[in-house]
Amino acid sequence: MEILRQIQADPRYDESCRSCLNCGVCTAICPAAGYFDYDPRKIVNLVREGDETTLTEIISSDLIWYCGQCMSCKPRCPRGNVPGILIQILRTVSINSGLFAKSGLGLQQLVLKRGIGHNILETGYCIHPTRVDPAVHPEQGPVWEWMSTNADQVYSRFDTGYDKEGPGLLRKISPKALGELDRIFDVTGCKELWRKIEDGAAK
Amino acid sequence: MKQYWKDYQKEIADDNYFYVRSCIRQNFFPGAENLFIDILKNKLGKTVFEDAEHTTCTGIGYHTDVVPLETTMTVIARQFALMKEKGYRNMIASCVTSFGLYSEVLDMWKHQPELKEKIAGYLMEATGRTFEEPENMVHASDILYKYRNEIASIAKYKLINKTTGEPLKVVDHIGCHYAKTFPERGVGGSEFPQVLTGLITAWGGQTVDYPERRHCCGFGFRNYLVQPNRGYSISQSKIKLESMKPYEPDLIIANCPGCSMFLDRWQYTLEETEGAVYGTCGNKIPVFTHEELAGLVLGYDPWEIGLQTHQVPVEALLDKIGVEYNPDLKYTDRQGNLIGEPELINQHVC
Amino acid sequence: MLENENHRIAVIGAGPAGISAAVTAAELGIDVDWYDKADQIGGKLNDYYQLFPDRTSAMNVLQEFDNLTGTARIHKHFGKAINHIEKNNGRLVLMSDHETVGSADSVIVATGFDFFDARNKEEFGYGMYNQVITSPELEQKLKTNPDSLKFDGEAPANIAFVHCVGSRDQQIGINYCSRLCCVTGIKQAIEMRELFPSCRVVNFYIDLRAFGSGYEELYREAQEKHQVQFIRGRVSEASENQQHRIVLKAEDTLMGRPLKITVDWVVLLIGMVPSCTQVQVADHQCTDQETGFLKAANAFTGHRLDGQPGIFMAGACGGPMSIPEAAASGKAAATEALQYLINR
Repeated sequence: MEILRQIQADPRYDESCRSCLNCGVCTAICPAAGYFDYDPRKIVNLVREGDETTLTEIISSDLIWYCGQCMSCKPRCPRGNVPGILIQILRTVSINSGLFAKSGLGLQQLVLKRGIGHNILETGYCIHPTRVDPAVHPEQGPVWEWMSTNADQVYSRFDTGYDKEGPGLLRKISPKALGELDRIFDVTGCKELWRKIEDGAAK
Repeated sequence: MKQYWKDYQKEIADDNYFYVRSCIRQNFFPGAENLFIDILKNKLGKTVFEDAEHTTCTGIGYHTDVVPLETTMTVIARQFALMKEKGYRNMIASCVTSFGLYSEVLDMWKHQPELKEKIAGYLMEATGRTFEEPENMVHASDILYKYRNEIASIAKYKLINKTTGEPLKVVDHIGCHYAKTFPERGVGGSEFPQVLTGLITAWGGQTVDYPERRHCCGFGFRNYLVQPNRGYSISQSKIKLESMKPYEPDLIIANCPGCSMFLDRWQYTLEETEGAVYGTCGNKIPVFTHEELAGLVLGYDPWEIGLQTHQVPVEALLDKIGVEYNPDLKYTDRQGNLIGEPELINQHVC
Repeated sequence: MLENENHRIAVIGAGPAGISAAVTAAELGIDVDWYDKADQIGGKLNDYYQLFPDRTSAMNVLQEFDNLTGTARIHKHFGKAINHIEKNNGRLVLMSDHETVGSADSVIVATGFDFFDARNKEEFGYGMYNQVITSPELEQKLKTNPDSLKFDGEAPANIAFVHCVGSRDQQIGINYCSRLCCVTGIKQAIEMRELFPSCRVVNFYIDLRAFGSGYEELYREAQEKHQVQFIRGRVSEASENQQHRIVLKAEDTLMGRPLKITVDWVVLLIGMVPSCTQVQVADHQCTDQETGFLKAANAFTGHRLDGQPGIFMAGACGGPMSIPEAAASGKAAATEALQYLINR
């Protein structure tokens, strides 16, 4: 019962997955339920049922990757469950077990790790104008293209400290701070997670 | 008599703030945060400190499951450690995801003190730092809410149509992570949050309630950041825009930087892909952040505060309010020279 | 039977439980001092239209109750809300706003319940949107002004009933089931279908609790004879559109998909909560810690209030119950009060 054990051992389990009335208020306002063939209520029920085979199947499928993490479910649940947080637990177990690589959406973790993940350690930000390429973001529009192409000038207009050390708009975060982030990512197991993502996806 | 949620007020500290910036707000609304700091310091006389050593809270990484819980908690502990070192007790988060995440982490530490101990251990091992929880931790929009009347008393403009004298109709969009995660951490609770309606009303406008008011803008983290998933994101914004259209709002404001960005950008995309326009007279609806709205009514120059970085043009709204601006300086640098080739932007205004 | 013919019992409350307690005590030969905050008997029975399961007129039932209360042994002290009982030398002293109003050898508390304040479930927009009303409000309209249920001067096209409002809900700290709301929703759904035959009526429920005699049959009748539609899914939120109609979001859990529906009226089936005018007994905590209702010393064996010799409870002040249940409870409490007086 390894998958179930891992799910229940997560520190977020008690606050997110209690008992389900099956009232459906979560699915009713879930943006993902209105867009995908996805039902957060069913996910909570399946985890409560605790069948190892079913759970293994779920975390190997696209099903756990639809949630947009909006937490609209949280204030409504009459039993105090939070499907959005339970999904985070399932995703964590999916990555740690390598099963994320069996689904198309799960494999996207590689893209996100190399994008957001690397951004954080390389710049200290999750997003940086030099890394939001208009070519793969046409939906951002022509204004963004202008901003991104002329980043130095545009951002300096608002703060001459742009991309320099010291406080200010999109400051260059110091090597010391980046070093601390790097060590934190090491010590807390994030680098380990990243190895799992790279290795899992490579298979 | 029991207090109802919509009257619920939360504790907001009144001075000596430690400000942590937002990744998305800095990228897409580059004028907004310095404007916020300027308003607090120079218009309200507050002390606001920005520590150059602070980093992202890793919120986007956490919600895309590339940064695990304990890493995020330790980075957050580091932010708190910086704050403690500089002697501050009151934190302002610029980003709503950050605000939600700090709230969640503080709540988890309250219920699982052993987890907090563990994180303290990690922080010590990785950085040699120790931390303390903030006494007060709020979102930037809470501060503007707290001082909305002071701002109103020194405002140059009101949210009123200068031709008709009618209050502007303003849609307020509250970021999901502001009050849905912990209703007691949002002014007015999670169903009828007051943090932005308070600003709108204090500054002369009227708020619009429409059926999809509480619906998520659709950021969805991975559902936007990974290109093939973007249909989800655009669909959620479309649901909101279609729902608000019959009410003919003059403007949308949002306190989450992601929400402001999406409601702004997706109007462009929906026009390009479907020919859909949601404002009146064939215009799109301008989308402002709470800082920008404050800056606007206080009389800051629109281009100084970054309104030119919006995909939806703001000129029609500025004219409606009667804000003075120089159209020639829209795409210029500090010296007044044009940056790049802005003529390629081709924005039409009614 | 009683050594001291001067024994008196006080009954606090003149709803169905209080009526039953006062009448029974009087019939058993005891003098009763009868209090109620209102000026007439009946409690909430005065506000109801038809009673489930067989749609008996509430006014007829009230009249039947009233006919029983004319005996000389019953002494009415109406218009007084007793909020405190003190103990003094073996007697029980009744106080209203710190003023002593009377005393008794034994007291039966039958103060009833309050309806849940639906403004506390903000997601339904009660108090904000005109077209969102509660089940007691619907009952009033059916009784006194059914025309007010038209929408824009016409028969409404769609009505939704929302079950479990103010019950079974951790978000508002009320975790119990109020028992009677489901059958109320079934009854009112039938009444609306009869009033407006062209109107579509949908009941959104989680679990249909039709436990009482005739309740299940009423549920079936609602479906078969009146085409009331039952959808298994709690309404998550209500919003108002430009026409002031209400847009509801719910999940049809049996179909496993979310739905959105626009209706002319939303009726919130609100639960029962402890009365705000509940009686304090000295300084003793005799309410249930979780629910706030009054608690019996031993619910299996009687109605004596926890820790209070001589003080008994009857009716909904002890928890949600129907009118026949409250009446039976009143009788039982009166009998126990008599036993207490004989044996002490």
